[in-house]
Amino acid sequence: MRRRHLAGLPALFAAPALAQSDQRPELRVAVQKISNSNTLETPREQSNVGFRLSTLYAESLIGTNWTGDLRAVPELATATRRLDDRTVEFELRPGVRMHDGRVMTAEDVAFSIGGARLFGTGAARERGGITAGQQGMEPQPEVIATARRTFPGLERVEVVGEGVVRFVNRTPDVTLEKRLQQNVGVILSRAAFEASENWLAWARRPIGTGPYRVAEFRPDVSLTFEAHDEYWGGRPPARRIRFVEIPEAASRVNALFSGEVDFATDIPPDQIRSVERNPRFEVQGSAINNIRILAFDTSHAVLRNPLVRRAMSHAIDRQAIVGSLWAGRTEIPRGLQLEFFDDMYLRDWDNPRHDPAEARRLLREAGYRGEPIPYRCLNNYYVNQTANAQVMVEMWRAVGLNVQLQMMENWTQILEPGPTRGVRDWSCTHVFADPVGSLVRAMGPGSPLQRQEEWSNAAFNALSAELEASTDRARRRVVFRRMLEIIEREDPGYMVLHTAATFIAKRRDIRWRASRGWPMDFRASNLGFGA
Amino acid sequence: MLRFFTIRLLRAAVTLTMVVTFAFLVLIASGDPADIIMGSDAPPEAIEAFRQAWGLDRPIWVQYLSYFSAILSGDLGRSMRDGRDAIVLVAERIPATLALTLPALALKLALGIPAGIYAALHRNSMADRAVMVLAVAGFTIPSFVLGLLLVLVFAVQLGWLPSGGQESWRHAILPVITLGIGGAAVLARFTRSAMLEVLGQPYIRTASAKGVAWRAVVSHHALPNAAIPTVTIIGFMVGSLLAGAVVVESVFSWPGVGRLLVTAVANRDLAVVQCILLLVAATMITANLVVDLLYGLLDPRLRSGKEG
Repeated sequence: MRRRHLAGLPALFAAPALAQSDQRPELRVAVQKISNSNTLETPREQSNVGFRLSTLYAESLIGTNWTGDLRAVPELATATRRLDDRTVEFELRPGVRMHDGRVMTAEDVAFSIGGARLFGTGAARERGGITAGQQGMEPQPEVIATARRTFPGLERVEVVGEGVVRFVNRTPDVTLEKRLQQNVGVILSRAAFEASENWLAWARRPIGTGPYRVAEFRPDVSLTFEAHDEYWGGRPPARRIRFVEIPEAASRVNALFSGEVDFATDIPPDQIRSVERNPRFEVQGSAINNIRILAFDTSHAVLRNPLVRRAMSHAIDRQAIVGSLWAGRTEIPRGLQLEFFDDMYLRDWDNPRHDPAEARRLLREAGYRGEPIPYRCLNNYYVNQTANAQVMVEMWRAVGLNVQLQMMENWTQILEPGPTRGVRDWSCTHVFADPVGSLVRAMGPGSPLQRQEEWSNAAFNALSAELEASTDRARRRVVFRRMLEIIEREDPGYMVLHTAATFIAKRRDIRWRASRGWPMDFRASNLGFGA
Repeated sequence: MLRFFTIRLLRAAVTLTMVVTFAFLVLIASGDPADIIMGSDAPPEAIEAFRQAWGLDRPIWVQYLSYFSAILSGDLGRSMRDGRDAIVLVAERIPATLALTLPALALKLALGIPAGIYAALHRNSMADRAVMVLAVAGFTIPSFVLGLLLVLVFAVQLGWLPSGGQESWRHAILPVITLGIGGAAVLARFTRSAMLEVLGQPYIRTASAKGVAWRAVVSHHALPNAAIPTVTIIGFMVGSLLAGAVVVESVFSWPGVGRLLVTAVANRDLAVVQCILLLVAATMITANLVVDLLYGLLDPRLRSGKEG
């Protein structure tokens, strides 16, 4: 016993010495929100704010080049083998040290994606109250539902041998590797999960492999990460990163100016100039993997006619909106697709052109007589949302469309069915580099758009099923094009506005690049201090 | 006295029931927590699973009865955001809020009452006018404007104080001043009015005519009689100690009950909102009860139920 105590003494004295010798700086980042669900478990926190943080503490088998072209990069797997249309095998990166000090194993992978973490054990739940969290380890029902939606055809995950895992799907799926890039599929420590007190405790301190480990989480207040010095990708350049929640944009900018934080996220475009007037700061950011769209309710008496919907799209000058409201700092995508789709990207596709004359002609053909079209809108849930809506209402008015803006308080009011539901704002995140991860997910059978009975098209739905199951790449391109023709031209279900963008103000003397998505990358390859 | 307390308690029970019912109906009717908490990008299956887990797919009256019976048995429910007990979540935030509102209350009393008395005793002087101009400015400037102005000057320009957060006592200075100035201004105006009314009463003239020193007239005759309206206002201030800093907590990113309330209302996190409302209502009722008792102490005529 005595020896054990004495053995601990050198470590006791060494710890402060090590801390003193660690000269790496501590970063402070002001965010509007840390986590909507007050958890850090990715299937529970499927939000923009959650996407921002998850790459810091958790990684997938296949990563995403967030600061580059958004294409897939090797992460926790070093090699991928397609065995057939239903089966993929991964060779794991050897020697990856997790935050609990263990080396990542194939069992961790099987647990993280095919096991109790995402799909539970099927234990009975009490109805009408929270069942997960403080009582046991069973994930919340919405976690399981999200997991099923993310990996709809997954049959099992097999441990083939040391460092080799095999994913077997029930149906052919060429998107399986891309689905695994999503943060729902991050690899976490099975041992840490099993040792957790309960699901909520686990979800607030998930043990992953990322460059930083969760040190302290004070919901709605702050989240502190510490460097994971045994990170496989190199020693992180910051000793600690502290995210502090500052809901007001003006307060975040003030905190940056007063030196209390080094980064301030979610800067409105109209404040970029005032931040950059100070030579010590700059604003970074650009278009991200999310597209702002306008959804049509085709059961509305006026919008039932596709000619009216097409006219609405032709009436909008997207370039003018991007130029005036976004200072030109975002892009207009070619329909609901991004270039990182690679071989599925249709370069010759485009949105309906801005053509007021064509809009008027379509309205005449439709027999439109100025009947009101309701436009339900939230107050700046999306950046620039209200101003954008007001500009569009005027553009529609210019071609003779009587669109009436109705400000709502929340999504329930926006989505409530009835004769006053017409047009609404929405956005679509491309969760992986394939139309299945955006067009099918958001507009296909079972999607929010169709479940809410805003739009449906039998031919589109049949093509969605084919796009999900087909392994013929040339055929998939044809199917994708036809789907866009239906939903963006012939029977519009939505109209594309522009690519969403996010802006981060920061100290100019910190070398750092914003990503092309929500995640903030603070690894050694993207963060530096001093000259 | 027993009758007095019984009537007050019955009134309190009715008030609390109305608060719970009104808040429940407004929150449920104005938004589905599943849509709001899960977000617009959540898979429909996940939203449906959430609804079922929380019983939100049941008829509203079933939800209400189930919730109300739980409250009667002492169960204030759990947060739909993270599954923790609502009472625990709220209790965690109370110290942070009191750390702002108690010093702010002290500031209001320390500034407002002497300023009001001084202004009344120097009626129509330059000092009186200056105090009243400051008081009008103090309670007409919205607290979020004042807060941001203070941040701009003392945090951004001068760099003397932090602009937000709750890491040290220095972080509390600007929010306490922001909260304190508005309340002090209100107290100054009420105290001045009450003092002026009392100073015009015949018994003040009588005391002065009898040769009582002016200082004694003010402290023994004017101040106690002018205290009743001031105590009423202080009672309101004490009653709003828990939820009186909603805006200031947001501006200064102070993690108190007010910010929790904003988040909970936005998310339609019913149990947390109800828990805060119940606490606020209970505090307000208790403060009013104490004020009623103080009236009796300050004015014996009210104690005996006789008119003067």
